[in-house]
Amino acid sequence: MPKLAKRRVGFVLDMTPLVDITFLLLTFFMLTAKFKSEAETQQRFTIVRPQATADTSRLPDRDLAIIKIGIDTVSGDTAYYYEMTNESDWFQVIGSVEQFQQAQESQRVRQVRASLQELDELIRRTRIVRPTTRFAIDADRRVRYRWVEDLMEVLRQNRATIFNFVTDRRPPEQPPM
Amino acid sequence: MGVADFGGEVKRERRGGTRRRKKMRRLRYRLDMTPLVDIAFLLLTFFMLTTTLITPQVMEMTIPPERTQVEVRQSELLTVQIRADGKVFYNLGTDAPQPITLKDLEALAVRENVRLQNRLITVLKASPNVPYGAVITVLDALNRAEVQITEQLAREGLRRERRFAIAPMTPEDEQAIAQL
Repeated sequence: MPKLAKRRVGFVLDMTPLVDITFLLLTFFMLTAKFKSEAETQQRFTIVRPQATADTSRLPDRDLAIIKIGIDTVSGDTAYYYEMTNESDWFQVIGSVEQFQQAQESQRVRQVRASLQELDELIRRTRIVRPTTRFAIDADRRVRYRWVEDLMEVLRQNRATIFNFVTDRRPPEQPPM
Repeated sequence: MGVADFGGEVKRERRGGTRRRKKMRRLRYRLDMTPLVDIAFLLLTFFMLTTTLITPQVMEMTIPPERTQVEVRQSELLTVQIRADGKVFYNLGTDAPQPITLKDLEALAVRENVRLQNRLITVLKASPNVPYGAVITVLDALNRAEVQITEQLAREGLRRERRFAIAPMTPEDEQAIAQL
């Protein structure tokens, strides 16, 4: 008597390892994800950062004041923008500068466009509110050096003589020009 | 879709039978994982695509607090100048400025610093019209030289003390390199 061929009823695949890995990756990406700060969502320009050799230095994320020099994507003009990571310091600082009191009242503005004179005032106030605040210059690599030079002079006048230039790491395959 | 299947057997309705069916034994507990996996993959894709793993790094800068004239020996001064078109020039002391590539500048900075053993002062002057990115590229080359300088000086038993300054470019400076 011939043996009856076993009928395959269903195809069962053990999904456990797949799900394990998926959740592992999901956890990793969820925990490492850093969302845009409120200040960044308000800006109307993107900064093309200059590239520098990769190293281990990182931008401090606490008590940092960032002065951005960006080129507006719509109008194409260059301007200084000021923002701070410490929220309570921020509202204290802009509340004390006359030109920005309106921004302080709305309680939502996290980045202001400022002239050089206004920056001088903002930086001075920042130094008063929290002298340990660190400064970073985040400038577009296409802006003329004059903008940075003037800003460094303002920083010098306010005794903020140690600051950081924000850069992107240069990809390793691209040799320095 | 989405059926939680307990035991794999369906309880049939008894049709008037008097005899009690044997009590069903639960063999295995099987849960349909499909929706769970769907959502997990969806989230995974979202986070993978929206994450940028490269965080910006920084280049630390220190500037002198006062704009004062410091007397320095001309022989211990290396001036690096960046012209408006991005070309880099260097001169030692009172020599005439000469064009230089970044690679050579790096080598020169190492050589001169090791020769003068920490006494060399590097001054960077950039034209106000040069793109900021070009200035950072030169600073980066000088920073890279710093690694080698520290290493070579350490071999001679010296601790590296960096002497570096950024100075504004005067019209005379600009004139001197305009025709090169």
